[in-house]
Amino acid sequence: MNTTAALPDAPNKKKSLSLRRYSARVGFLLVLPWILGFLLLKAFPILAALWYSFTDFHMLQPDQIHFIGLQNYLTFLKDPAAGSSLFRSVSYFITTVPIEMIAALLLAAIFASERLRGKRILRTLFFMPSIIPAVAISIVISGLANPTTGWLSLYILNPLHLPPISGRGTLYPIILALWTVGPGFLIMLGAMLNVPREIYEAARVDGAGPIAAFIYITFPMISPAVFFSLVINMISSFGGVALLDRGLPYSQSLSPMESYISRVMFGSDLNLGYASALAWVMFIVIMAITLALFASTRYWVHFAEEQGDAEI
Amino acid sequence: MQRSNRRGLFHHADASTLTLRLWEFTGTALLNLLIWLSVVVFLSPLSFMVITFLKSADQLRDGNAPTYPAKLQTLTYKGQTLLVYNVPTSSGVKNWAMLDRFRTYSDFIDPANLQAGPIRWNGFWGSLTLHYNPGITFENFTNLWKTVPYPRLLRNTFIVIGLGELGILLSSIMVAYGFARFPVPGGKTLFLLLIATIMIPDSITLVPTFVLFGRVFNWDGTFYPLIVPQFFGSAIYIFLLRQNFKSIPRDLDEAAMLDGAGPLRTLFSIIVPQSIPTIVTVALLFFFNGWNEMKMASLYLGVRPDLQTIAFSAQASPSYGFTPQTLQASALVLMIVPVVVIFLAQRYFMQNMIIAGVEK
Repeated sequence: MNTTAALPDAPNKKKSLSLRRYSARVGFLLVLPWILGFLLLKAFPILAALWYSFTDFHMLQPDQIHFIGLQNYLTFLKDPAAGSSLFRSVSYFITTVPIEMIAALLLAAIFASERLRGKRILRTLFFMPSIIPAVAISIVISGLANPTTGWLSLYILNPLHLPPISGRGTLYPIILALWTVGPGFLIMLGAMLNVPREIYEAARVDGAGPIAAFIYITFPMISPAVFFSLVINMISSFGGVALLDRGLPYSQSLSPMESYISRVMFGSDLNLGYASALAWVMFIVIMAITLALFASTRYWVHFAEEQGDAEI
Repeated sequence: MQRSNRRGLFHHADASTLTLRLWEFTGTALLNLLIWLSVVVFLSPLSFMVITFLKSADQLRDGNAPTYPAKLQTLTYKGQTLLVYNVPTSSGVKNWAMLDRFRTYSDFIDPANLQAGPIRWNGFWGSLTLHYNPGITFENFTNLWKTVPYPRLLRNTFIVIGLGELGILLSSIMVAYGFARFPVPGGKTLFLLLIATIMIPDSITLVPTFVLFGRVFNWDGTFYPLIVPQFFGSAIYIFLLRQNFKSIPRDLDEAAMLDGAGPLRTLFSIIVPQSIPTIVTVALLFFFNGWNEMKMASLYLGVRPDLQTIAFSAQASPSYGFTPQTLQASALVLMIVPVVVIFLAQRYFMQNMIIAGVEK
């Protein structure tokens, strides 16, 4: 296979047809693992889930599958627990993602300042919690919020005569959201440091203050990075893994809908057909939100022109 | 004359240089103070964890014990173990061991001067506080080590991460190389599809992959569902690597190919060495994710306790009946490896997460 002049895509060079065909074939072979993975682990499961969602597929009777039409979807419409899980999933996304984005943006803006000392260690300290497994976080937060021995009660709530805060229910999701700020923060910081200094210089000469400079220069310049972080945070808020895995099983997913689906699947029901229908409802909701986000980019994201194929 | 900081929070237009310097200095000091304070608050749950697991079991039962890890000071006197109190006297507070206590007076012994014999102190002993010495204990880790089979958990975790790392790096690098350098038929569409798969939620593929792995392949209770999918590459890693490969000048691989190197040799002798920082970043991302991974582990390893990974096993620790201190110690054991890795690799990792953002 060691041809002497395999110059794939070389500009201004005459390429023979066989050479082009050869490099296309090499490229295809290189990409093949992903194509197979896509078909086997993404495309086929998505379609299979669609088929299951129209059946009464049951974990204990895998041989008896009957087509039952839209019945699973009708069950969803009448299932208050499913509706509330879906609602809570979407509200978790709506409430936490803006907090994460604002925290990351603020942190990145502070880190872009030349006045900050000890940036390297601070950056690692702010990023570090993003890689701590959620199990460990949950243990620490439960201890912290313990009504008799936790610091939160001993030093903040009791002196102020406030009622105890539930560690698992209230504090944990907040800490988990804030402790996920790392990747977004680094991505936006990287983009901010990449903005040419001359633009700020020119703006200052024109009399723009720091806030105006942020609104009219920094934000538009880093908007692709903001969008990238937004997508990453959206994926994790729905229980997925974008860059870093929080280490939550399906049953404890950040997204209540995902835990509900796994409960239908493995709980007392073992109803794979209904679980698939719920998964498809969730899929459609997430895809609608994703498409809306991508459609919104034309109003606020300024993609660089030459990177045409990098943006979606 | 007027030197205002471009990105400064404090912009002072018409001021003398001195006032301006003063402003800048105050602003800088405030900014640094604020950010260090916020990092302390941000990480305060972790300091709670550290301070708690250094405490002994006795200390948590003791309502009067101080916040920091401490031990009660005691004195063994004539075969008896005596507690040491903080005793106010006319010559300051003394740390004396209590021999005997009565309603209006108590007898103490001075640990520093045993020969002096009992000292009578007039007052009600109930008003005295016990004396603590700062002191840490590692007994929580010993307890933990006895209960949790860490060597086995670590072995399982490293098997899963090691083989997964091999799979994910090989496949993602090859696929990224294909997308970056070759005219793959329909390449642009395929790449868009690849990006789109990042957005697909796990729950949609949950049921069919469970049927495929668990029922069709019969992989329930094996490492296969955690390792095999890695050999098909990961969309986000392929994206990061492709962006990096595209930034390497083509002249280098063209020269190698003119010298007779085939595509794979060009990849491993030119592209890979040029991309070590990004590859290390991807390897680290996968390492953290493999360490934390819980979805696949909880689906397929539940039936085989001997194959469980560290994160999956830690999920059960709140039900082991550990003391609160031992529980905090188990949280530390769970997070210490990724935390040490991030500090050792911060130079690589932080820099490349930044580049990853810029490339987009």
